[in-house]
Amino acid sequence: MHTCKTLRGTIVAKQEVLGKKPLQILEKIRENLEKLNEKMEVMIELQKHGRKDVQPLPETPLDVMTLLSMPDHLRKTAMTLCRLGRATAEEIAQQTHRARAVESAYLNQLVIMGYLKKERKGRKAYFYVDRENHG
Amino acid sequence: MALSKIIAVHSYKGGTGKTLLSINLAANFVTHGKKVCLLDLDFRAPSLSTILKIEKAECWLNDYLNGTCGIDKVLVNISDRIQNKGKLFVGLANPATEAIRDMSAKDRKWEMRALGRLLALRNSLLNDKSFDYLIFDTSPGLQYSSINAIVSADLVIVATTLDRSDVDGTRRMLRELYDLFEKKTDIILNKVLFDVSSRLGREELQNKMKDIYRVPLLGIIPCFCDVLRAEGGIIFAQERPEHPFTKILDDIVSKIDNNMA
Repeated sequence: MHTCKTLRGTIVAKQEVLGKKPLQILEKIRENLEKLNEKMEVMIELQKHGRKDVQPLPETPLDVMTLLSMPDHLRKTAMTLCRLGRATAEEIAQQTHRARAVESAYLNQLVIMGYLKKERKGRKAYFYVDRENHG
Repeated sequence: MALSKIIAVHSYKGGTGKTLLSINLAANFVTHGKKVCLLDLDFRAPSLSTILKIEKAECWLNDYLNGTCGIDKVLVNISDRIQNKGKLFVGLANPATEAIRDMSAKDRKWEMRALGRLLALRNSLLNDKSFDYLIFDTSPGLQYSSINAIVSADLVIVATTLDRSDVDGTRRMLRELYDLFEKKTDIILNKVLFDVSSRLGREELQNKMKDIYRVPLLGIIPCFCDVLRAEGGIIFAQERPEHPFTKILDDIVSKIDNNMA
């Protein structure tokens, strides 16, 4: 108990001495890990569906005929995003009742296919259909 | 289950009664005190302007989808034609040949933007202007404008007849269009020629339809000569409130309103 208290005291003291730096470093590491995680999810997804090239395709309009011709799993994600306008993977997952990581992979795949755009705001990634400035 | 606030009336073939059903469903909702917006999304064969005898609107729905005007400028208030506390607004498709040609030559990018503008109506009309229902009258078959309407809707009502090619096409659309978009879909069987006034006859037809389509049957409408005789010149449900046609529509509207559709 005594040792634990001392240890906690030392950590707090050290953090105070170094200012906020360690926290910022940890925050940065977490951000980078999240980015890496997203990229890995896309790669896993593309592997699953037999595509090995991860080259982004040119911007393509996400019209209803395109939605119709999509595989079911991607159509569900794309349709939900069409309805919401702009959303994070978490928000899409709430609607589709699938895991956030799964939606994240599908959304990133749709970005690579040129149907969606992605924008980062702080630690969150927003996906949207760029209807007005398309092409 | 979420309420069906945006209803697209669609069919595989032309002439199944989409426009007649759209207008009369809208009128029926209004007589139930609802605020309704009826939009003519049949840009290939616009008809609401003729049927409702509205010569000119400030803007057409074509302009709204082109992004050159707001939806406020498109809507025409015709509540005075329905004797009730409800409200009826309509948005018209431009019937000029040039406008029809222009709409049929749009590209995929335009159609994508048009979908965005249709989806935006949920916010601008249902949330901001507190409409209770939006009804989309569409073109038959697999047209861009119709599929845009279907994607934007909560409920698709498919008007169908007993015509063999219509039955086949409707069945295909159920599996290859509405199902793919995970849309709540109901059937209205229209222009039925044989007698369905007996309970037995009606049940037999209901079971047959369930076997064929495997989606809920919202109503069976016999072929009424009175409706045909009106030549699309009146809002039938308003002019003939006691007619069996109006009574069937009353029942359909109650089912939708009670979220049983």
